[in-house]
Amino acid sequence: MNAVKRSARRALASSRRLLRAVYVRQRRSIQLRVVTSTLCISAVVVAILGAFLTQQMSNALMSGKVKAAQLQLDEGLSTVRGQLADQPETGDRLNSVINTLKERSGPSGLYEVYIRDVHDQSLDGYSSNELRAESIPQRLRDELGNAPPDTTAYTFGRLTYNGRASEPGLIVGGKSGQFELYYLFPLTEDQHTLTIVSRSLWGVGVVLLLLLAAIASLVTRQVVIPVRLAAQGAQRLAAGRLEERMRVRGEDDLARLARSFNEMAANLQEKIGELEDLSQLQRQFVSDVSHELRTPLTTIRIAADMLYEYREHFGDPAVGRSAELLQSQLERFEALLADLLEISRHDAGAATLDAESLDMRDLVLRAVGDIQNLAERKGSKVLLQLPGEPCMAEVDRRRVERIMRNLLVNAVEHGEGEDIVVSVAADRDAVAVAVRDHGVGLKAGEGQMVFDRFWRADPARARTTGGTGLGLSISREDAQLHGGWLQAWGEPGAGSQFRLSLPRVAGAELRGSPLPLVPPGAGGRPLFAELEAGE
Amino acid sequence: MSGRPQRVPAALAAALALGLGGAGCATVPSGGRVVTGHAGGQAEQADDPYVRLIPAHPRADWKPDQLVAGFLAASGSFDDDHRVAREYLTGSSTAWNPGARPAVTVVDAWQAPQAEQTGASTATVQVRGKRLGRIGPDGQYIADPEDISEEFQLTRGSNGWRISGLPDDARGGLLLTKSDVDRSFRTMNLYYFAPERATLVPNGIFLPLVNRRDLPSQLVQALLAGPSSWLGTAVKNDFPEGTRLRRLTLDNDTATVDLSGQARRGDVDRMSAQLAWTLRQLSEIKQWKLQIDGDTVAPEATGEVQPVRAWQGNAPDGPDAPSTRTGYVIDAAGALSRLAGDRPQQVALVSRRLVRPAVSSDAQEFAGLSPDGRTVLTGALTNGGATALRTLLTAHAGTRFTAPGYDRDGTLWTVETSADKSWLWTRPRGKPAVRVQEWGLSGREVTAFRVARDGVRAAAIVKVDGATQIQIGRIVRSADGTPAEAGSFLPVSAELAATIDLAWRDYGTLAVLGRRQGDQRVLPFLVPVSGSAVSSIGVGALGDPTTITAAPGQSVLVGIEQNGTRQVCRQSSPSEQISEWVCAIPGTDPAYPY
Repeated sequence: MNAVKRSARRALASSRRLLRAVYVRQRRSIQLRVVTSTLCISAVVVAILGAFLTQQMSNALMSGKVKAAQLQLDEGLSTVRGQLADQPETGDRLNSVINTLKERSGPSGLYEVYIRDVHDQSLDGYSSNELRAESIPQRLRDELGNAPPDTTAYTFGRLTYNGRASEPGLIVGGKSGQFELYYLFPLTEDQHTLTIVSRSLWGVGVVLLLLLAAIASLVTRQVVIPVRLAAQGAQRLAAGRLEERMRVRGEDDLARLARSFNEMAANLQEKIGELEDLSQLQRQFVSDVSHELRTPLTTIRIAADMLYEYREHFGDPAVGRSAELLQSQLERFEALLADLLEISRHDAGAATLDAESLDMRDLVLRAVGDIQNLAERKGSKVLLQLPGEPCMAEVDRRRVERIMRNLLVNAVEHGEGEDIVVSVAADRDAVAVAVRDHGVGLKAGEGQMVFDRFWRADPARARTTGGTGLGLSISREDAQLHGGWLQAWGEPGAGSQFRLSLPRVAGAELRGSPLPLVPPGAGGRPLFAELEAGE
Repeated sequence: MSGRPQRVPAALAAALALGLGGAGCATVPSGGRVVTGHAGGQAEQADDPYVRLIPAHPRADWKPDQLVAGFLAASGSFDDDHRVAREYLTGSSTAWNPGARPAVTVVDAWQAPQAEQTGASTATVQVRGKRLGRIGPDGQYIADPEDISEEFQLTRGSNGWRISGLPDDARGGLLLTKSDVDRSFRTMNLYYFAPERATLVPNGIFLPLVNRRDLPSQLVQALLAGPSSWLGTAVKNDFPEGTRLRRLTLDNDTATVDLSGQARRGDVDRMSAQLAWTLRQLSEIKQWKLQIDGDTVAPEATGEVQPVRAWQGNAPDGPDAPSTRTGYVIDAAGALSRLAGDRPQQVALVSRRLVRPAVSSDAQEFAGLSPDGRTVLTGALTNGGATALRTLLTAHAGTRFTAPGYDRDGTLWTVETSADKSWLWTRPRGKPAVRVQEWGLSGREVTAFRVARDGVRAAAIVKVDGATQIQIGRIVRSADGTPAEAGSFLPVSAELAATIDLAWRDYGTLAVLGRRQGDQRVLPFLVPVSGSAVSSIGVGALGDPTTITAAPGQSVLVGIEQNGTRQVCRQSSPSEQISEWVCAIPGTDPAYPY
């Protein structure tokens, strides 16, 4: 019992699997879908057509039969009229009539006859050969019994016999005076004919179905194969192989598709090439400009330094103040230039990783130490959450320090004097540093934009305190150079958190971060952007 | 995928158009080659369509006379073992079961039943009718005309009147009218062996046709049950006592007859011959197998599967009668002549005038009557030479002899008859003539007497109450083969009056010169011994026929007298019953050798 249940369940499961596989395949393959829908539709059509044809055939056959039967009956009735009219005594005469009628049908049993004298109650009539009187359905007798004289009626029923199997038959009956005459025609032959016809019809239908399915499969194959080729080409194009082209054959729709595809690919390739050249040119320009600016800047710097040193000797204090301003703006200009150079190095792919094994805690501590003054000035306290054991990672000290400094300065500047939490964590593959502030936070979408070049949270804000506007961009480039991530989370009013995740081994792929991007306790609807390095 | 929604309907439309086009092409052929086939085998009487009476169920509102009329009608239906007829019965009479082969009292027609109520719930119904005869349980019909009156006792029960007491005739059998019998009985032949002979003798019996499908087994059962009382001791049944039919199955046209173990003691060849000849009356059986207790037994001559047309050697007409059997006539010169075509060739010049010749089957001997019919003469047949005639028998005063005839043994038969008496004489070859002691027609005038080719049956024209009758009787032989009894003569047909002469055409048919009732002229007819309707032979003018002779497969020869000249006429085609008479043979008194 259990085994049966089990096997039933297994069968059910496997059939479900099969259906699922078919469904999946069908979703994936146009060809299969077309073939199945063709099969379904044509099966319905063939079924309807077959049923209609057999019905039609049977109707034609039966109406012919009925017509012949009624003629036969008319003839029989006239015989009965001729032989029996006005004869009160029936026995022998009825016999002779039925013999006459029967003998005309011959030995092949084309029909059987049943005759009945409604006035003679002592017997129920005469039937020919083995025919049983039950063959005449009561409904036909009633119909004739209630009908006016000289009516005929017919119906279909089963003919029963003594000692042999019953068979379907057509029963026609007529009334002439007191006599009811019935002719019973076996329909076995017609049944046989119909069976043969319908069987061959269904056979033809099945062949037709298969043929249609094969044709549909062939036709769709002709369409689908170029489409598949186009899909593959588009895929390769998307993967960056801009030289990919489709083969053009003939002049049909598909050839047009291929030609348009190829044109598109060529245009794309050309445009991308142009853009690449342009950006190369721009990068080169920025790099060149930065370099070219450096030399005059150095001279300006020397002059400015001199002016600054002598600022107290100027009679006009306003001039001294101008010298101070010049000095500070020059520093800023230098920093901007340095950042521009740095970012152009990144853009040109010239940035190199100078990796060494370092404890991240040291790096963090040093960076925090550097901004301690600034923080105190802003009224912020920097809280450190450092693990007890060293967090060693292969990193470029200069770049990571720059990232940390950037993040911390940002945190202090936007921290609104609240506490800044710096946490460090490590796992087997990666180390992470998160810098959390409780300032204004980030609005929706800003988590991504913070990394854009020259982006500012508040455009109205003066660029006095801020850096160059390239800090986070460079930091992100640096993180990506390590194969790591730099991500931001923020929520208006709840502050923001920046997380730096770096693989322990330089260049290794990063799969996850030891720290959550969303700080614990910061609930609600997090608005964050998660941009993974390498994406 | 813009191609898909267009292509699929297009393909469907194409298929549809093809299908419809194909259907439009289907026609019945209106020309072509001619296909030939064989005409079916000879139609047997058993294959004729038949009619069955459908009995009515008794009704509660019927009066006693209606009920009896219904019962008498329902008796004529053999369906379901007379189930409906039994519904008319109540009380002790419900045990009534006539069975598959009932005894039947045959009545011409019933008069209206007369009912007499004897009590509140009892009644007596009298039915009167003219009895024609009886059919025994063995199927033998015996004419026994008499006016009879049958009395039924009825009681009224909850469902109306029912028959509680049946008359004696109905208690053990059926009361049927002649039309009932015509409708539901068939005459079939059972075949038994003539004693000490290889020839089969047909025994015609009445068999109720309950169901056409059961007919083969019914027939074999009847065969196993033995010959009817009429033929009785004159024939031999080769099935050992107690042999039963276990099963008869029909597979296509092959029947399998499975007999019980008692049949092992019987002679397989002879049993097979009897069965084959009996079964060949059924057209659906073309071959058959004999089984005893389920084991197939095979006669050497035929093998396991026996065609029903085998065992021709046991034919009632004798084994393979020579198809070139030639007739003999007395030519214009009074000499016995053999016919060569239409020309008589003298074979025996005789010193005395001879009429009504007979020639033995081995063509060694002939016999005849003197012109006055008072002397039987015999002579040896030599080719063309003169022959001395010997007087075999001389008539007593006031008597004369019928035309002599041989049987297959060469025994000569003749009847000496006067207006109210007759004697049967027989003369085995080489022995003196003797009178048969037991002669069934001794009190009647007999004008013709012919022994059938099987040697057991004999046909005679008998004068009964001034009218002639064709009667058939049987010859019982004693242990040494000499005829001991000729009797049990039964009339065959009442259709012909004024019969003059007869001859055996074959084992089932007599060729008779007679006059159909209502006709003026004497004409030749074929009379089936089974009692079926007679049919005339040939077309065309015949003068006054006087003598007739016939043989299986040969033209019937009729001796006629026309405008004072005597001639012999033959049918132009021996195989066709309706063929023209050709009267071109000069001569008289035709005879085929037996």
